[in-house]
Amino acid sequence: MKRGLKAAAGVAALLMGAAACGSGGDDGKTAGADGFKGETLTLWAMDGSTPPGWTKEVKREFEQKTGAKLKLEVQQWNGIQQKITTALSESDPPDVIEIGNTQTPAYAMTGGLAELGDLKKEIGADWNESINASSVIEGKQYAVPWYVASRVVVYNKEIWAEAGLKGTPKTRDAFFEALGAIEKKTDAEPIYMPGQNWYFFDGLTLGQGADLVKKKGDTWVSNLADPKVGDAMEIYKKYADFSDAPKDKDEATPQQAEVFAKGKTGAMIGMGWEAATAIEANPEIEKHIGYFTIPGETAEKPEGVFLGGSNLAVAAGSEKQELAKEFLRIALSDKHEGTLAEEGGVIPNKDALQERLEGNPAAQAAAPAASTSGGTTPLIPEWAAVENPPNPIKTYMTAYLKGASHQEAAAQVEDELNKRLAQKQ
Amino acid sequence: MAVQLDEAAVRATPPAPPDGPPSPAPRRSRGAGRLPWLLLAPALGATVLLLGWPMVKNGMLSFQNLNARQLILHLTEWTGFDNYGDALGSEHFWRVTVRSVLFTTVNVVLIMLAGTLTGLLLARLGRRMRLLLSVGLVLTWAMPIIAATTVYQWLFAQRFGVVNWLLDHLGWHSMADYNWTGSQFSTFFVVTVLIVWQSVPFVALSLYAATTTIPKELYEAAALDGAGAWKAFVSVTYPFIKPFLFATTFLEVIWVFKAFPQIYAIGQGGPDRLTETLPIYAFVEGIGNQHFGMGAAISLLTILILLALMSYYFRLVLRQERDES
Amino acid sequence: MKRSLLGRLWPNATALVLFVCFAFPVYWMFATAFKPTGDIITEDPVWFPTDVTLEHFGTAVRADHFWTLVRNSLTVTLLAVGLSLLIALFAAFAIARTRFRGRRSVILVFMIAQMAPWEVMVIAIYMLVRDAEMLNSLVPLTLFYMVMVLPLTVLTLRNYIAAVPRELEESAMVDGCSRTGAFVKVIFPLLAPGLMATSLFGFITAWNEFPMVLILNKDAEAQTLPVWLYQFQTAFGDDWGATMAAASLFALPILVLFLFLQRKAVGGLTAGAVKG
Repeated sequence: MKRGLKAAAGVAALLMGAAACGSGGDDGKTAGADGFKGETLTLWAMDGSTPPGWTKEVKREFEQKTGAKLKLEVQQWNGIQQKITTALSESDPPDVIEIGNTQTPAYAMTGGLAELGDLKKEIGADWNESINASSVIEGKQYAVPWYVASRVVVYNKEIWAEAGLKGTPKTRDAFFEALGAIEKKTDAEPIYMPGQNWYFFDGLTLGQGADLVKKKGDTWVSNLADPKVGDAMEIYKKYADFSDAPKDKDEATPQQAEVFAKGKTGAMIGMGWEAATAIEANPEIEKHIGYFTIPGETAEKPEGVFLGGSNLAVAAGSEKQELAKEFLRIALSDKHEGTLAEEGGVIPNKDALQERLEGNPAAQAAAPAASTSGGTTPLIPEWAAVENPPNPIKTYMTAYLKGASHQEAAAQVEDELNKRLAQKQ
Repeated sequence: MAVQLDEAAVRATPPAPPDGPPSPAPRRSRGAGRLPWLLLAPALGATVLLLGWPMVKNGMLSFQNLNARQLILHLTEWTGFDNYGDALGSEHFWRVTVRSVLFTTVNVVLIMLAGTLTGLLLARLGRRMRLLLSVGLVLTWAMPIIAATTVYQWLFAQRFGVVNWLLDHLGWHSMADYNWTGSQFSTFFVVTVLIVWQSVPFVALSLYAATTTIPKELYEAAALDGAGAWKAFVSVTYPFIKPFLFATTFLEVIWVFKAFPQIYAIGQGGPDRLTETLPIYAFVEGIGNQHFGMGAAISLLTILILLALMSYYFRLVLRQERDES
Repeated sequence: MKRSLLGRLWPNATALVLFVCFAFPVYWMFATAFKPTGDIITEDPVWFPTDVTLEHFGTAVRADHFWTLVRNSLTVTLLAVGLSLLIALFAAFAIARTRFRGRRSVILVFMIAQMAPWEVMVIAIYMLVRDAEMLNSLVPLTLFYMVMVLPLTVLTLRNYIAAVPRELEESAMVDGCSRTGAFVKVIFPLLAPGLMATSLFGFITAWNEFPMVLILNKDAEAQTLPVWLYQFQTAFGDDWGATMAAASLFALPILVLFLFLQRKAVGGLTAGAVKG
């Protein structure tokens, strides 16, 4: 009797499973559904990268199609490089790892990442080239592009209204005028701009067409002394002069969103999700928050922005290469990539999917700059060492803001920068 | 009960290791021969295996070019003395070394002064006040380092930190939004306050325990001789606590020199690497920047420098051990 | 010997100031943890929590695997301290009570071991443990913590043993005890305070250890509480209420243990015998 019941339940489960698969059932078969039964795929994603709806859908489809389990382990940013490096050296590394786009070249050169050229051929024909650039090192595909995000101006409409401002500025000069108006007419801080918001500064250098490094013979050396970098820094200083924020801190200490949340700051330059952090800290602020694209020199071209983002890579030491690729096929499918864009407010890896940003004002404000004037830090393996704390470029920024000239501040850190660029790999 | 707690605070204090209260010299032992080594075997074995082996491994790493790539691919690239050459040849290393020695000196002097004075104060207090102060000291002593470090970050927080509020209300208005981790000096100031705060209870309570062993008759005799408080201290108290002070000073040197979580958590060695001491430097170079071979070389140099600082102490202790046996 | 009023006043006043200086950070940790956020982020500090809330503790405890981490921390710490006491006792007895060639070298070994900068050796340790396929296990942690606290335990216990008058031991042996019997019946009870003190020290060291567990055990279920406190701090940034609640929870076992063990230490003390 009991046995009969169990068998019946088993059949029912099978039927339901088949029914649930529905149209996707065929794909499951071709991917060798049964081959992966009982296996577990470990995914390391960074804190904040995997919105719950996306996670649930991807997990369901992956587990249904492959019969394997998906184990998502959310990682904190602090100390992540050490963690990934050591994990890649182990016999049982996580199978799929989210890696920051600027760090991908360095990891690719360590030999710890599997090559994914065939996957690019199969599913990557219409990936946005500039977003995919960070995954390609010396012509080989070492990761797949997942998403990028870029900074926008997050502003407090109430304060702007108090200062008598209407509409949002379309050029940099108009933006400065608006900030000046806030300074004069209200007791709010016009903009929160700590001295070391380095990715914003990187965007400004992209806008000025400046290169942070140059090739000298076989090695990369600092190009910080280039006057174009100085021009970018001068723009940065104009922003910072409107702020009381510490000159030697970045935007994370204290979290600028928490400062903004208090309602005494006219604007901040941050990621879309930082507005959510502010709303969490002070729900009152939600109705006052607005977004606009960081304005550039002219109204036609927005300010240069750093495209921060993430790629997904497969550990070379993973014994589940096929399963990992199957996961990537599912996770990067238009369906889920679209969900990620919609739910996470990030810019997807294909331009065609940008329509999914509809209804997300922050991401919509980010998209124009990302597609026309976005860029990254230098995509060379040596670069990762530069951003290790203490980042010499942050030191340069603080020195400049504290009164050193561009040349003095650059000279102060160039040795360190060159040392890091020359480090043995 | 009240007294009990008070005494307890004192009794749980490990006495000063080498010179503590007069200890009878080990006499000729009957069971000599293999017995001592049998008894020592587990402790020595564990130390050699679990400390000696990693140290040897660390030494081997210091002669390798070991970065992320080599670690991940399990490659061994010998580079001879390159790491040592680079470290010893860099100005930064020597600056950090000098800074470490200065940092240790300042902290140890402050700890010993404050600790001794607090300990002597404990001996002078009435029962109730002594209990109160002991409770404060014990609470401090029992605070886990990581928790304490977190609390200090909150106390000295730039916005809403209670220290800035206090300074502001004491009339020092420029301190209202002061950023303590903004400069080398102020960062070291916070770290020093934290370390002194954590270390004084041990010194003070141990010292008080040591003074309780001084026979009252000695003070009475001194008083009969017409000695004032200072004279009594110099002729009676000081000789008694001297060996204790000596041993504790060296324990504190080790402790402060090696201090890691306090400095790292407060400022990560910043701003601009200006508050890096040797252990922080080794960590930032080795693990932060993923030059593991270089980190190993610096850590070995750190050990050598500490050994050099302590050599005087070792010599004294070993001489004393010889005299005893 | 009557002192002047001033003479009696200043030590007490100083003691009071010192008490505040020492106790305040501990108090402030607990006070902040119990205050609603509105009372934490204020222009003027709220010195006494009037509006007590457990909200921050809730946030702290709801972290993933919190109770697993508590269990891991307790297991590792208690085992490490227990093992280290046991083997340290043998070693301390050998050093304090027997004379043999190489005694000085042994002392030197423990003194140098006491100086080991563990934080900077983690990569070497990591590679050894990795190659032994022992990552994400509590066993290496326990063993390394044991060795970490071993030197001071040996050196301290040896002083306590040396302080026990040999005559006591000898008279016990005259009474017909074996050497082991004399140790168990006479010396051991007198060592209780020493054992308490050293286990306390060991407990604090092992409870606090952090860089090693961070690199050896990446598996969230094999980590310990310091990792939780550290990540909590980075994940919650400026949420001082939750951070202080976490710090309070982390500090609490040590604070309790301190008070508890110290009373025991007094109980186990045959004061007259030791003072001799």
